[in-house]
Amino acid sequence: MSVAALGPATLFGLCGAALAGIGLFVVITHSGLLRRIVGFNILGAGIFLVFGAVARRGAGAGFGGDPVPQALVITGIVVAFSATALAVALLQRLFDLTGRETLEAAQEHSPRSEA
Amino acid sequence: MNAAGLLLAAAILVPLIMAAACMSPGIRRHAPLLLAFAPIPALIAALFSPEGSFVLFPAPFRMTLLLDRPGAILLGGAALLWSAAGAFAAAYMGRKPATIRFAIWWLLTLAGSLGVFVVGDVVSFYLVYTLASLAAYGLIVHEQTASAHRAGVVYVVLALFSEAFLLLAFVMLAASHPDANPLIRDVVATLPASLLRNGIAALLILGFGLKMGLVPLHIWLPLAHPAAPMPASSVLSGVVVKAGVIGLIRFLPFEAGLPIWGSVLIAVGVVTAYYGVAIGVTQTRAKTILAYSTVSQMGLLAVLLGVGLDNADPAGTMFVAYYAVHHTLVKGALFLAVGILAATGGARLRPALLLTAILALSLGGMPLTSGALAKLATKPLLGYGILGDVMSLAGAGSTLLMLHFIVTVARDARQNPDMSAPPGQVLPWLVVAAASLIIPWSLYPAIAGESVQGLFQVEALWKLLWPMAVGWLAMLIVSRLPGLRGAVPEGDIVVLAKAGGAALDRLLLGVQQADAALRRWPVAGLGLLIIAALLAGTLMLGA
Amino acid sequence: MSPLATEPAHVATPGGVLLVLAVMLPVVAVLLMLALGPRWTRRIALATLAIGLLVTIAILAELLRTGEALTYVVGGWQPPLGIALRADGTSVAMLAMTALVIAATGCFGYAQQQLDPATSHGRAPTSFWILLMAVWSALNAIFVGEDLFNLYVALELLTFAAVPLVCLDGRAETMAAALRYLMFALLGSLLYLLGTALIYGSFGTLDISLLSQASAEGPVFPVALALMIAGLLAKAALFPLHLWLPPAHAGAPASASAVLSALVIKAPFFLILRLVLDVAPPQSAAFAGQFLAVLGAASILFCSVMALRQARLKLMIAYSTVAQIGYLFIVFPLASGSETLPPWGTIAWTGGALQLISHALAKAAMFLAAGAIAEAYGHDRISDLGGFGRALPISAAAFGLAGLSLMGIPPSGGFVAKCLLLTAAVIGGHPWLAATILAGGLLAGSYVFRVVDRALATPAIPLAPRKPIPRRLELAALVLAVAAVLLGLVPLQPFAFLQIGRPDSLTAVAP
Repeated sequence: MSVAALGPATLFGLCGAALAGIGLFVVITHSGLLRRIVGFNILGAGIFLVFGAVARRGAGAGFGGDPVPQALVITGIVVAFSATALAVALLQRLFDLTGRETLEAAQEHSPRSEA
Repeated sequence: MNAAGLLLAAAILVPLIMAAACMSPGIRRHAPLLLAFAPIPALIAALFSPEGSFVLFPAPFRMTLLLDRPGAILLGGAALLWSAAGAFAAAYMGRKPATIRFAIWWLLTLAGSLGVFVVGDVVSFYLVYTLASLAAYGLIVHEQTASAHRAGVVYVVLALFSEAFLLLAFVMLAASHPDANPLIRDVVATLPASLLRNGIAALLILGFGLKMGLVPLHIWLPLAHPAAPMPASSVLSGVVVKAGVIGLIRFLPFEAGLPIWGSVLIAVGVVTAYYGVAIGVTQTRAKTILAYSTVSQMGLLAVLLGVGLDNADPAGTMFVAYYAVHHTLVKGALFLAVGILAATGGARLRPALLLTAILALSLGGMPLTSGALAKLATKPLLGYGILGDVMSLAGAGSTLLMLHFIVTVARDARQNPDMSAPPGQVLPWLVVAAASLIIPWSLYPAIAGESVQGLFQVEALWKLLWPMAVGWLAMLIVSRLPGLRGAVPEGDIVVLAKAGGAALDRLLLGVQQADAALRRWPVAGLGLLIIAALLAGTLMLGA
Repeated sequence: MSPLATEPAHVATPGGVLLVLAVMLPVVAVLLMLALGPRWTRRIALATLAIGLLVTIAILAELLRTGEALTYVVGGWQPPLGIALRADGTSVAMLAMTALVIAATGCFGYAQQQLDPATSHGRAPTSFWILLMAVWSALNAIFVGEDLFNLYVALELLTFAAVPLVCLDGRAETMAAALRYLMFALLGSLLYLLGTALIYGSFGTLDISLLSQASAEGPVFPVALALMIAGLLAKAALFPLHLWLPPAHAGAPASASAVLSALVIKAPFFLILRLVLDVAPPQSAAFAGQFLAVLGAASILFCSVMALRQARLKLMIAYSTVAQIGYLFIVFPLASGSETLPPWGTIAWTGGALQLISHALAKAAMFLAAGAIAEAYGHDRISDLGGFGRALPISAAAFGLAGLSLMGIPPSGGFVAKCLLLTAAVIGGHPWLAATILAGGLLAGSYVFRVVDRALATPAIPLAPRKPIPRRLELAALVLAVAAVLLGLVPLQPFAFLQIGRPDSLTAVAP
């Protein structure tokens, strides 16, 4: 089966799934917070692509191109942007205070229970 | 709500209102003076409320109070002891700031422990039972010594276990009932037919047995009762343990009987009765000896309950209540006596010791005392087979333990300077001591169904005297055994907990390490994905 | 044309506009605070708290008067194009709980800021009020939301407001805790979003009421639901996904911890409840419910033990939160209902809702009491608090009363909840769940007792507070604890109020 036979919606969907997978991998395996934030954005981009594929299929109201997912994607992008901004701001502050950009060292300092 | 009902309600509410009133500084200052008066409504209710009085609190409070014969007998004895011990406490505790706290815990425990005798529905029973259990912690740790603290911790842990067992038992009992909060007697009537009856009976005996101190669930009792201040020990050992007795009276199906569990209770009771004596004679502190005596006596009560359950004999509960009220008053008076004797010396020591000795030997069944009446009244229930003899021999054990107690207090008081206990302490003690004689005598004809003349026959006296003689002989032997005193630590098998403690520590450490591992980011992230996959699997299973 | 247009799924009710008010009022307050500056912040906040309480009471009255769910269709556009807001009995109970906890926390925060007049208009107090209002708005939006994507946005708003609450004091330790919280919550939200996309792809709607009538074929629907539920579990911090909760909730200022622990984690649970019971097909829901109950039971046992081992009071309370959340998840198999009895007609449903509400009240009370203690002594090491009950009797009483509810000791809402859940477990034949409920109660008793024991202790040298603590700072905790105890007066049976507006509601049948 050639790539062309897949159709644009499926292609978008597969790309989205691949991006989501890459993003998830980065988020879970990397301890660097900046990398994780980037990973989140890749994961988000993948999900938005899936949404786009959904819109292209027009499953919803039976229109040729469903407008609702597009509205959702735009909202989602705004939310993702805010999340990134908040995370970067917190990370910047953490870096200013400690000079670290990972969390794992913080676990050593996290209040220990009595043993 | 009629006058009798109001009295019943007041029995629980007056102490609670007094406890609440202690929030006001003006009343708080005089809190110790309230203690003697708080149980008065209960006492009046026990004396004058007709049998079968019934009160239903309106929704949303869902509380039903009712008074039956065993409940009234126990309520009366308990209220009397609470009142006298309250007066004793006011004189004994002094006017320290800590006394106010003591008074508040006292009032709460009082409300709960009197409540269990009159509450008629399942949820309210659990409520007052819990109140009595948890508030007693405040009395036990009052002196804030290391040993009191240890006793308090052991007590609370076991009390929570008791609560958990009972909650499950009550829920299982009520589960099949259409009403969410049924009357106790209604659910107990359905118990013998219930599929869960063995589980329920086991949980009830575990839960209430813990409260009564049946071996091996007794470990908290010899720690907790001596740790409390004198008047608190008196009510803890006299009244609060009876919450377990009334619980078994109320919740076990004596109408229909449960022979297997009756036998279990008898077996546990016999072991407890002898075990309490055996460990008690090795003890060196007067209060601890009394606590072990309580353990032993609760064993006797368990035997009586077991026989009643075995024979499907609802009248058995009357005998249990009668025996229990005797123990309430005598044991209460004995704990107060320890306080009196510690503050008495010189010429007044001898009469005080004499009265203490009479009270103590009453537990062993000395003729003419309440103990003799209780033993004779319950004799027909036990029958004249081997069980009757076993119990008579347990009476001999009680005599032995009480002789050991008398020797111990007499030795402790020998060095006292010439002084006398304040009248505020002596008077309540005398009242309880007198009541311990009068009340059982006045109730005897109604309970035993025969006049008191029968008590003076040679046969009846012989029944009482041979166990006493055996007890004296045993004392002669025991007192010559070297190294017996102090051979067993207070709380005996609680030391075994240390061995289990190490294993528990390892388990807890394992939990902590697992927590640290699970809370690492990659592990949690992977966990999230695994959970998502498993969820998808379960959702597809159903589709 | 779609058949949906001819037969609208949602009909706006007269009181529906109140729901918009409940969501928008705090937003307006936030905008006013930003516009008018720090001097006005507290006045606006107090006014909003008062008006918000009134709005909640009005919603409650409207629901009781009509006996039907309140509905509002935004702009008159029907789903799937438009968005509906709907509040049934359970939602209104959540709204009321939220308003009560937020108001009490606000009073605590106000009193605490007055202790230190120099900084009461500083950055942290101003941020606190703005974030508190934002949390309130987001919570209300979640409790009345009907649209899955709208709920996603509300959940994100909630997270974005909650994360800065964690690091209000700006220490490195709390920064790290906040980042950990944000990262894990983001992971959860993205899974949820992916699920939403898949559901929209299959059904063309995200409206919960419409989805509950849809029939699903193929693997997409279960996968989508699983992604959404797993994402929400991450935000609800159910064991073993609780990595972020203890440091975040223990590190935050007391007033923030109270809101976070009492309310914020309840929002994702509420959504899981709706997804499992309203959206998932009943047979699938039964299996998924079993799985969630296993996690819930593990949460109860594991995190109660962890709570018992904590040296610091706030960490102990935080672990206790994870444990208590577990009780909510064991509701699923217990409230599975039957042919004749819908889930919300079961006693387990009432028990679960009561557990949710009484835990919210009790846990907020505990954190506020811990806040007063930390304010007085400057630390919260349990072993060094011997005798704090003498200096802070109200806080000690509040902690004790709240503890009763957590332990499930009568009379308290926690007792009624536990009793109902236990009854459901016994009737339904779930002995392991019954044992777990009891064991959880025992462990809760032990960790509450550790603190109460310290409160009652009388050390040789009385523990003197660092500075005097005014009564009004302690009162907020007591009010919440007493409210948790008063919940115990709810009758021991399926509570009709929680069933108002549920489909096939029993109240419609009952006279």
